[in-house]
Amino acid sequence: MSLAEPSLPRRAFTTRLNGFLANGGIVLLLILLIAVVTAIIQPRFLNQQNILNVLRNTAILSIISMGQMLVMIVGGFDLSVGVIVAFASIETALVMSALLQWMPEMQFLAVVLAVAIALASGAAIGMVNGVLVARLSLSPFMVTLAMSSVIAGATFYVTKGIPVYGMPEFFTHGVGRSFLLGVPTVVVVGLLVVLTTIAVQRLTRFGRHVYAVGSNPVASRQSGIPVDAVLVATYAISGLTAAITGILLTARIGSGQSTLGGTFVLESIAAAVVGGVSLLGGSGRAERVLLGALFLSLVSNSMNLMRIDSKFQTLVLGAVLLAALCFELLLRGRRKYG
Amino acid sequence: MAEAVITRQGLRWTHIDFLQRILPTLLMFAGFAFYEPAVASTSNLWNIALQTSYLALFTLGQVVVLLTAGLDLSIGLTVSYASVVSALAMMQFSDEPGLAVLVFIATSVGVGVLIGGFNGFFVAVLDINPFVVTLASFNILLALSSTITDGFPVSGFPPLLGSALVNSAVAGIPIPIVIIGVLFAATAVLLNRSVFGRSLYLIGSNRRMAFAAGINVRLHLLGAYILCSSLAAVGAALLTARAGSGEPNIGGSLALETIAAAVIGGARLRGGEGGVLSALAGALFVTVLSNGMNLARIDGYVQQLCIGAIIVLSLIADRLSHRTSRTS
Repeated sequence: MSLAEPSLPRRAFTTRLNGFLANGGIVLLLILLIAVVTAIIQPRFLNQQNILNVLRNTAILSIISMGQMLVMIVGGFDLSVGVIVAFASIETALVMSALLQWMPEMQFLAVVLAVAIALASGAAIGMVNGVLVARLSLSPFMVTLAMSSVIAGATFYVTKGIPVYGMPEFFTHGVGRSFLLGVPTVVVVGLLVVLTTIAVQRLTRFGRHVYAVGSNPVASRQSGIPVDAVLVATYAISGLTAAITGILLTARIGSGQSTLGGTFVLESIAAAVVGGVSLLGGSGRAERVLLGALFLSLVSNSMNLMRIDSKFQTLVLGAVLLAALCFELLLRGRRKYG
Repeated sequence: MAEAVITRQGLRWTHIDFLQRILPTLLMFAGFAFYEPAVASTSNLWNIALQTSYLALFTLGQVVVLLTAGLDLSIGLTVSYASVVSALAMMQFSDEPGLAVLVFIATSVGVGVLIGGFNGFFVAVLDINPFVVTLASFNILLALSSTITDGFPVSGFPPLLGSALVNSAVAGIPIPIVIIGVLFAATAVLLNRSVFGRSLYLIGSNRRMAFAAGINVRLHLLGAYILCSSLAAVGAALLTARAGSGEPNIGGSLALETIAAAVIGGARLRGGEGGVLSALAGALFVTVLSNGMNLARIDGYVQQLCIGAIIVLSLIADRLSHRTSRTS
């Protein structure tokens, strides 16, 4: 992240304040500010139901943003996460209902198999993206864009846009609406994914390789890092996290839908950017992206409570994105030239 | 190709490149025509020409920013927003059709310049990644163009507009194609023969070098984004006149279509490559493909799948052919 500035005693406080703000403090302050203001204007904000809603949305968004973040750290974008969510949703529902008709008494096995297949195919789609980007050095933008078109076409062709029903209550209630230790299951899964990503980034060789490849692919290759494998792995993880999101949403809604996930491409990139992930690659931390996801969920919840037209919410999302980047620029004073 | 355009000999190279890129389109067209003879009918050929010219104009705008190593995701919503706003502005002058048409065109282009200036300010002056800047302006424009009229089209245009921008013809060629042809020629001169155009190529291939060579990188980038949005806005005026109403959904998926067309035509996302001919070749490819699939009655979802697959295949083919030519 930002280089430690030489801390002269006189400037210690401002330097530290700058460092705090530049490293996610500003997002934290904004989160508190929005929470307080919303709570004052709309006391409903503090209802248990509403708080749980914000947490659920944050969890869902942060899961998919973890994959997006990794891809952005290696210097790419994954525009296919949205359609992978829809694809995983349809696949889970179709496989689960088919298996249940075939073996009605083995609900648990059907659920596990369907989830495993959806996860595997999400990772497989990501892998194809990764191979095209790494081996053929095609532009990540074009590859994931074209992949979106292919997957969306396939998903809609199979379902004709009609929701797929027929999943057991064990799945829809057990995963989508249940609580583990007093916390919604979705939030538990979200926390697990974020904690795993933090651990991978801080403790594993793969995590360090991701940063290295993102900062300088040529130097990484020359120092013996398996650059192609790292690239393929990050795209596969992005597909996997998108599939997890798709499965969780499917469980919550209770049907497989080919229209799910449309906004996740933008939102996951926005969460990453607000979370300080550099668009040039090479930097980004899971815990800050989690803050970014919380911030975005909070903003949209707050706008919903204040009954702001949902069409205007995209305007706010766009403005937030630009403001986040300008602010980062202001703090770092980064200039490439001139 | 970037360097190739500079010299006289290089110009010939781009023509060969253009022919290479047009060949798959011709083969595809022949295939569709064989399967469904209606594809080769005169009325469909005019249809293809008209659709190609609209898409080519938008793609041209996209190419201008692509060759500076940027991109414009907001181009589709620029078209939508310009369409709605210019239609609304024209309705204020419904008493005087002549003035109304002028106001319509001026507003559309003005909106284009403003949006291009907005994008360009963040990309060029503040040096923020164009992907995120234009993604943000995409969302802002989406909100504006869908709320400004509550999502309803603005209709009731003076008939003069239709006769001026849609139905008239110059030497038997429909006026939209003539206008777009003129814009293409002007942009070709600008990109290939002017210092501004050549600087854009240099900025796209090597920004530091362009800066070191004394080029005002920021001003040129700003100019590129304004040019892109203005071309899109002219296209918006032509499309709006044709549709007969200001449509908030008219731009739709143009961002992805134009980027795909530009890349198929030979522009590169990393910048420095592409020109007016890439816009033309790419737009022709995309139009012939979707027109042929429509007439062959292929399911819309399968079409979407095919387009994605064909983009990937064309990228792979392009990459492989570049590889072999580099090693030989």
